[in-house]
Amino acid sequence: MMAQLNINQKIGVGLLLGLLLVASGIVQWSPYHIADQDLSGRLLAPSAEHWLGTDHFGRDMLTRIASAIQLSFVLSFFCVLTSATLGVSLGVITAWKGGRLAQGMDVIVNILLALPGLVLVLLFAAIVPGSLLVLYLAITLTQWVEYFRVSRAITHTIINSPARQLSEMMGFGPWYQFRRHIWPELTHSILTLASFGGANAILTMASLGFVYVGIQPPLAELGLMSVELFPYYAQAPWILVQPLLAIATLVFGFHLLAGNKHDSAH
Amino acid sequence: MWTLIKHRIFQLILVVWGVGTLTFVLMRSLPGDMAYRIAASRYGQDSVDSDAAELVRQELGLDASWWQSYLHWLVDLMQFNLGASLVSGLPVIETVQHQLGHSVLLAFTSVLLASLIAILVGVLSAFRQGTLDHSFLWLSTLLRSMPVFVIGLMLILVFAVAWPILPVAGFGTWQHLVLPTVALALSLAAVSNRVVRNNTLKVIRAPFYQFAAIKGLSPSQTFVQHGIRNISVPVIVFIGIQLVTVIEGIVMIESLFSWPGIGHGLAHAIFARDIPVIQGCALMMGVLFVLLNTCVDLLCHWIDPRGAQA
Amino acid sequence: MTELSYAAIRRRKTRIKAALTGGVGLVLCLMFVLFGQATSNNQTRSNTLAISGPWEFTSLEPSKQGYIYTRMNILETLLNVDTKGALIPGLARTWQSSADEKTWTLTLQPNVLFQDGSPLNASAVVSALRIAQGKHGVLKKAPIKAIRVKNPQQVEMVLSQPHTVLPALLAHYSTAILAPSAYNQEGVVSRLIGSGAYQLDTFAPPHKLTVKANPTYWGVKPSIEYAQYLTGHRAESRILQAKSGEADIVYTLDAAMLEQLSRADNVVVHSDAIPRTLLLKLNAGHPFLGSVEARQALSLAINRPAIAEQVLHVAEAASDQIFASSMGAWYLDQPQENYSLEKAASLLAGLGWQKDDQGWLVRDGKRFQLTLTTYADRPELTTVSTALQDQWKRLGVDLKVDVTNSSMIPSRHADNTLEVALIARNLGVIADPVSLIANEYTQGGGDWGAMNWHSTQVDQALERLTTQSDPVQAKRDAQLVATAIYQEKPVISVANYQQHNAVNTRIKGYQFDPFLRDYFINKMELVDHVDAH
Repeated sequence: MMAQLNINQKIGVGLLLGLLLVASGIVQWSPYHIADQDLSGRLLAPSAEHWLGTDHFGRDMLTRIASAIQLSFVLSFFCVLTSATLGVSLGVITAWKGGRLAQGMDVIVNILLALPGLVLVLLFAAIVPGSLLVLYLAITLTQWVEYFRVSRAITHTIINSPARQLSEMMGFGPWYQFRRHIWPELTHSILTLASFGGANAILTMASLGFVYVGIQPPLAELGLMSVELFPYYAQAPWILVQPLLAIATLVFGFHLLAGNKHDSAH
Repeated sequence: MWTLIKHRIFQLILVVWGVGTLTFVLMRSLPGDMAYRIAASRYGQDSVDSDAAELVRQELGLDASWWQSYLHWLVDLMQFNLGASLVSGLPVIETVQHQLGHSVLLAFTSVLLASLIAILVGVLSAFRQGTLDHSFLWLSTLLRSMPVFVIGLMLILVFAVAWPILPVAGFGTWQHLVLPTVALALSLAAVSNRVVRNNTLKVIRAPFYQFAAIKGLSPSQTFVQHGIRNISVPVIVFIGIQLVTVIEGIVMIESLFSWPGIGHGLAHAIFARDIPVIQGCALMMGVLFVLLNTCVDLLCHWIDPRGAQA
Repeated sequence: MTELSYAAIRRRKTRIKAALTGGVGLVLCLMFVLFGQATSNNQTRSNTLAISGPWEFTSLEPSKQGYIYTRMNILETLLNVDTKGALIPGLARTWQSSADEKTWTLTLQPNVLFQDGSPLNASAVVSALRIAQGKHGVLKKAPIKAIRVKNPQQVEMVLSQPHTVLPALLAHYSTAILAPSAYNQEGVVSRLIGSGAYQLDTFAPPHKLTVKANPTYWGVKPSIEYAQYLTGHRAESRILQAKSGEADIVYTLDAAMLEQLSRADNVVVHSDAIPRTLLLKLNAGHPFLGSVEARQALSLAINRPAIAEQVLHVAEAASDQIFASSMGAWYLDQPQENYSLEKAASLLAGLGWQKDDQGWLVRDGKRFQLTLTTYADRPELTTVSTALQDQWKRLGVDLKVDVTNSSMIPSRHADNTLEVALIARNLGVIADPVSLIANEYTQGGGDWGAMNWHSTQVDQALERLTTQSDPVQAKRDAQLVATAIYQEKPVISVANYQQHNAVNTRIKGYQFDPFLRDYFINKMELVDHVDAH
C-alpha cells in the first residue's frame, strides 16, 4: 500500500503519524494535566518548565495542544471510517441493485446535500451540547454522502463493464465481483476522499468551537482554544499561534496525503 | 432540457418538504423547555423567568402535540406561509428576505472575486510551469489549511487595525463588504485555482489544442478559440459546487464581521429555538441550492450541448 | 440536435453574455439597494456618534428590548435613576403616595411633546402604562388595581396593598411612555414614537439602528445630529472597532483584552462598577448542599482574589456578598471572608465526607459530584466556571461544567434538576432591589435566586420592606436579609461586575449610567469637526 504512494503522500503520512505519536507521548508523560490551573503563572513564555508556555489559566500549553491534537485525530479518524464504510457500501449496493432503492437514496441524498453541512452539525451540536458522540454522528452524517456519490458513480460504470459481466456469467458471487472488479477501482478515490474528510472533520470541529458550541471546558479542543486565546493576541501572540498552527499542520498533512490528483476529485 | 427542468422542480418540492421536516424533527428533539428558550431570546437574559415562559407558552400554544404543529406547519407551507418568528413576531419571510439580500450580495461578490482570482492564477500557473506553479500550489495549500475565520481574523488585524483603511465589522457601505468578501474569496480560490490549473493543463496538452497551434494560430488565438470553452465547463460545475459550500463559510464570516446575513441569522435562530426562522432559513438555502444547480446545469448546456442527455 | 452552425454559436455567445451581464447587474442592483438605504440621509462621520454594543434587538416592544431604546434616548420613563440609585424626576415631575400608601399621584412635566408632535398628557401616559401592564414586565407583577387620569397633568395609580417599590418600577424600561399613535389596535408597538431627545431614523434589526436629534425635545437639547447603534457579537471585533476609531463608544469590553487599548492614544477606557453580581446559585434541596456547613465550605474554597485578578482582570471586583457597596442599605460593612481550604475541608469532614485515594470526597460510597450550569452569553461565565472547577477540585469536589443557554437556569429551577449554577445577576434591573429580592429569596426562592431555601425571618423582613415605608425599619430589614443570605449562603457571591467601555477622545461629555438605562447622547458633543468630509 505504502509503495503506491508518491513522495508527497509519504510526507503526509509521516507528518500525521509523527504528530499523533508525539502528541500521545506528551499526553502520556507530561507532568501536567489539561485542567491543572495555576492562576499566578498565566501567559508565561516558553521555558524549561512549560515548553510552549502557559495559557490564560496558567495551564500548560504543550499538554493541552497535544491532548487537543489527539482528540482531533481520534474524532476525525472515526468520522472518516464510519462515513466511508457507510457511504461506500450504500453506494455500491445502490448502483448494483438500482430500482426503488436508488430512488429512495436519491431523495435522502438530495435533502442532505441541500442543507449545508455545517448547519446540520450546528443543529446536532445544539441538541446535545458538549457531546463528542453527537459531534461524531453529525459530522459522519454530512460526510458519507460524498463517498456514496463517488462510489455509486464508479460502481455504475463497472457494473456494465464486460469484465464484470463475464465474471457474473462465470458464476462468481457478488463478494468476489466486488473484490475483483469494483474495490480496486474505488480505492484511489476513497483514499482521496478520506484524506479530505479527515481535514474537513478537523475544520468543522474548529468551526464549532469558534461559534461556541461543541466542547465544554476544560477539555482541550483546537477551535475552542483559538477562540479562548484570541483576546491575548497582543499580549502573548505565541500561545494564539499554537492552536492555529496545529490546525493548519493537521489539515496540511491530510491534504498532502490526498495527493496531487485531489483537485479533480470533485 | 424540459426533462431537466421537470426533474429539478420535482427535486425542489422534495427538498422543501424534506428540509422542513428534518429541521422540525431536530428542533423538537432539542433538550430543555422550548418556552424558556424563546422567552430568553425575547426578553433578554435578565428578564427570563417562569412567568415569561408561561406567557410564551400560552401565546404560542406550545402545549400542542408535535403532530398538530407539524400538520399546521405543512398546511401553512402549501399556502407559501412560513409563519412568524417566535422571538420577534415578525413574519419569517420578511426576516429571511432581509437576510438573504445581504448573504446573496456577500456570496456573489466573493464567488465572483474568487473565480477571478482562481481563473487568473490557475491559467497562469498552467502556462508557466515551474516555480510560479509551485509557489501558487504551496500558497493555496496553506490557505486551505486555515479555517476561514482565521483568514478573516488575519485580514482584520492587517487591514483594519495595523493599517486602518477598512472597517472592522458592520455593514451599510461598500467598505464594509471588502474584508468579508476577500476572506471568503481567498478560501474559495485556494481550492478552485487548482481546478482551473488542472483543467487548463489537460486542455493545452490535448491533441486538438496542439493541432490548433500547429496549424498557425497565435497562442492567444488558440486560447480564445479552443481553450476557454473547453476549460469553462468543469470550472463552472466546480464553482456551482462551491456556491453551496460558500454558505458554510458564510456562517462564520458573518458572525465575525457582524454581517446580518442568513447564515448568521440561522446560527442565532438555532440558539434561540426560533423554529419558524430556522425552517425558513434552511428552506431558503435548500431552494437556493436547487436553483443554483439548475442554473449551472443550464449554463453548461449552453456552453457544451453534448452533455445534455446526461 | 448536435448540429452546430455559426449562427447558433453566435446566438449562444450572446446568451451567455446576456446571462453574465444580468448576473453582474443583479449584484450591482443589490449593492445599490442595500447601500442606498444607509446612505440616503446625510450622515457623515462628523455628525454621527457611532455606538457599538453586544445587545441585539428584534422588536420595537419596550417590554422586550426597551433598554436599547431608553439608552439611545428614544424612549423615556416617568422616573429616572441617578448614579447612586436614587429616583429623580423623569417625565413625571413629582410622585406622592396617599397616607395609606395605596394611591400614588404622579404629576407630569408640562409642555412635553411626543416625537409625532402630539402632547404628552395624562391620558397618553395612562394608556401606555395600561398596555405595559398587559405585557411581560415589572408592572404585571405589581398589585395595581387601577391606573387612571386624575386631571390632564396628573395620573393616579391605585394599589390593592401598599407597594413601596412602585416608583422604582416606573423607572424600568418596560414602563417607558410611548405616544398613543405608536400602538396599533391590539396594543402592539408598530412605530417607535417616544418623547426622548432622539427619534428613530432607520431600523434594521437585529443589528443596526440610527437615531436623529429631536429638535422639540423638552430637556437638554441634543448637540450631535445622528447616533448609530451597531450590534457587535464578538468581543474581539468590538475592541478592534474601538481601536480603529470606527466606533466612538464601545460598551462592554472584555477585560482580558483591555491591555491592547492602553497604547492607543485615541481611546480612553472607562471602568465602572455596575450592580451586577457574579454568583453561584445552589440547590439547597440537593442532598450534598442541604446543610449550611456544606455551602459555607464551598464558599471558603473559592479563591476570590485570584479569580478577580487573574480571570476578571479587576482586582477589586472580588466580593463575598451579593450586594455591592453602591447598594446602600443592603451592603454589609465587614471584611471579606478569607480563602481557606483547610477550614473548608474540616467543615466537610464534619459532615462525614472523606477523601478517597484519587483525592475526591466520598460519603456513603458516593462521590461529591456536582453539575454546574452556566450560559455562553457572557464569556466570563465560562472562564470563571473553569477556574471554579479547578479550585473545588482541590477541595475534592468533582464539578462538571455545562455551558448552555441562559434559559436553562429558570427551566432547571422549575423542574428541580439544577444543582449549581453560575449566573450574572443584575440586581439593579429595578432601581430599588426590594421587589427583585422578594421574588428570588422568599418562599423557597425564585428563578435567579435561592433554590429550596427557606427562612421565615427573611420572608417576614421582605414582606415588611415591600409594604411599609419606615426608613429606619427598612434599613434594619435590608441588613437582616443581607446577613441571612451572607451567612446561610443560598447563593455564593464570587465577584461584582465592572463594565469596561472604550470612548473615543473626540467625545466630550461622556457619562455612564451604572443602571444601564441611558447613554446620555443628548449631553455629549463631538469635538473634532475638523476631519469632516
